[in-house]
Amino acid sequence: MSDALTVSRPGFTATPVRGGRRFSLQGRATTLNGTAKALGLAEVPAMLGTAQAGKCTLLRLAPQELLILTDDAGLPGKVTDYLATVPHSLVEVSDRQVGWTLVGERLHDTLAALSPLDMRARSFPVGCATRTLFGKADGMVWRTSEDTFHLEVWRSFAPYIVAMLDAAALDAAW
Amino acid sequence: MLLIRCPYCGDRAEVEFANAGEAHIDRPADPMSLSDEEWAQYLYMRDNPKGLIAERWRHAHGCNRFFNAIRDTRTDRFVTTYEIGQPRPEVTPEQAEEAAR
Amino acid sequence: MQTNRYSLFSLLWEACRGNTGWKPAWRKAEPASAYDFVIVGGGGHGLATAYYLARRYGGKRIAVVEKGWIGGGNVGRNTTIVRSNYLLHGNEPFYECSMKLWEGLEQDINYNAMVSQRGVLNLFHNDAQKAAYIRRGNSMILHGADAVLLDQDAVRAKVPFLNVDDARFPIKGGLLQQRGGTVRHDAVAWGYARAADRLGVDIIENCEMTGLRIEQGRAVGIETTRGFIGARKIGLACAGNSSRVAAMAGLRLPIESHVLQAFVSEGLKPFIDCVVTFGAGHFYISQSDKGGLVFGGDIDGYNSYAQRGNMPVIEDVCEGGMALMPRIGRVRLLRHWGGIMDMSMDGSPIIDRTPVDGLYLNAGWCYGGFKATPASGLCFAHLLARDEPHPVAVAYRLDRFARGAVIDEKGMGAQPNLH
Repeated sequence: MSDALTVSRPGFTATPVRGGRRFSLQGRATTLNGTAKALGLAEVPAMLGTAQAGKCTLLRLAPQELLILTDDAGLPGKVTDYLATVPHSLVEVSDRQVGWTLVGERLHDTLAALSPLDMRARSFPVGCATRTLFGKADGMVWRTSEDTFHLEVWRSFAPYIVAMLDAAALDAAW
Repeated sequence: MLLIRCPYCGDRAEVEFANAGEAHIDRPADPMSLSDEEWAQYLYMRDNPKGLIAERWRHAHGCNRFFNAIRDTRTDRFVTTYEIGQPRPEVTPEQAEEAAR
Repeated sequence: MQTNRYSLFSLLWEACRGNTGWKPAWRKAEPASAYDFVIVGGGGHGLATAYYLARRYGGKRIAVVEKGWIGGGNVGRNTTIVRSNYLLHGNEPFYECSMKLWEGLEQDINYNAMVSQRGVLNLFHNDAQKAAYIRRGNSMILHGADAVLLDQDAVRAKVPFLNVDDARFPIKGGLLQQRGGTVRHDAVAWGYARAADRLGVDIIENCEMTGLRIEQGRAVGIETTRGFIGARKIGLACAGNSSRVAAMAGLRLPIESHVLQAFVSEGLKPFIDCVVTFGAGHFYISQSDKGGLVFGGDIDGYNSYAQRGNMPVIEDVCEGGMALMPRIGRVRLLRHWGGIMDMSMDGSPIIDRTPVDGLYLNAGWCYGGFKATPASGLCFAHLLARDEPHPVAVAYRLDRFARGAVIDEKGMGAQPNLH
């Protein structure tokens, strides 16, 4: 990805995430649970929760939906083997979405300009992930650590989101 | 801006949601046995109450699930939200009064 | 001597004696015990119905019952646009009839309603919209209305400040109805009220209908906050409250009530000389004679009787305005308001008998009721007087939903919040 997708302002940086693959899995609660078990987890993460299993990250974006982020190798064979036995919908969306890592001391002010969601730690703790609106663009935000966020939007929204983040970061830096 | 409580995601801003009209309108089990008038009642006729309404919402920019809500159409205040498939919950007089405030 | 006819002579006469002789435009009528016709709802449509009933159909003993005051509802809070640029056969003759009535309205009711045929320009932004507008324009011409297709250069020449070369939604042209325009909205209510009053119609304000009296399957009168009023025929013209009033007769209607917001800016020097609508979002704008920009957009999208709007739609409307004409970006909003629309299931109105004898319904105008005011009144009066639909309103039957003969101008299906 080009530098056109990077936002860098005093106190805020958005760096495009390179590599890795993304899978959207939809199914009943038992299917999602079975997938988590196949990855060695005790159970599927709760709504808006996330879980790490080896090279896979499971993000529970909806009761019936998991977004699974993996490395370039994709889903492990034990997951696809399990899914072959149950009704489900699995779609690779690696190229549909663009992700960024967001850092900086103006991070919260910048995000607040794009979304009315309260992303302070008490209501949006580490490990929390949700889909929401950023300006006009549908996107997903995930708090990966105390002061790092992961943001994903559909590829066609990327120039819009970059422009919005840049403007918001500029405002926040004042 | 309305603050709407998605039963799955919690309180969210109105812009994340899409309204889908009155709730608890069951599709007739055997449409072929209905008269045209009965089918029109199902498809087109609505109670359109001034006061408490049970209605469907979809968390379009969130978990994408449909759910039901009880809201007062005079004030746009919500009483409660609940999952699709559950019966319409009883509203206490205190809740109704609060929603009408 | 008191003056009640408006003319150059009466103006000069009153000017000479300090304007002391003007009569109130209409009497404050007290309800009588019974009437031939009772119209429930003293908005534009109700008043126009009473006027045409008395004027054209020889109706006597007519009352208009209004729960608030005349001009205080949607007729006093809309974006004042009149046009007849419809596509479907059920609609276009009706709206063209309305347009012709607007053209003769001021002479008809002896009242300056500031009918201004400044033109309505619907913009298109792509080839598909252009094809749709050509089809619509041809439909209009076939029904006796006027329509001109403007190309990009013609739009640029007519409205030079539009964002024609916008990257996302370039303006490719527009469909112009020159006979369309604006009418001073509350003057329409006042003018019809005054004209009806002069024909003997009782206009009863602050009188809310609370119930319907039905005897042996026939409506015989209405209960109101000012007592029972008997009636041979009852016409309902209650806009956003239609469902509530119909429920008094045990009826359910194919109608949902939704909030529509409209906006007025501070006064500016004249610069928009026609009505312009954006084709890529929902936004329409004109400039009032006072200088304020009058504009609006979509309904809020959920059932409501709250008569106040919400922020997301305000933002959406302002974004539409900025995309269309960036120069209004620094104009300040003076006021905005929300009214309750009777959104019907197919986006078209209902002027028909109800299953209850003696009870007639005029409803489902969605957010386009103002332009229909004269024809709605005429057709409803025709129905009340003759018990048969007016030729231009034959499609507006209540039973069209059961027959499947819906008039869905937008092709949205049974989704009132999308019409």
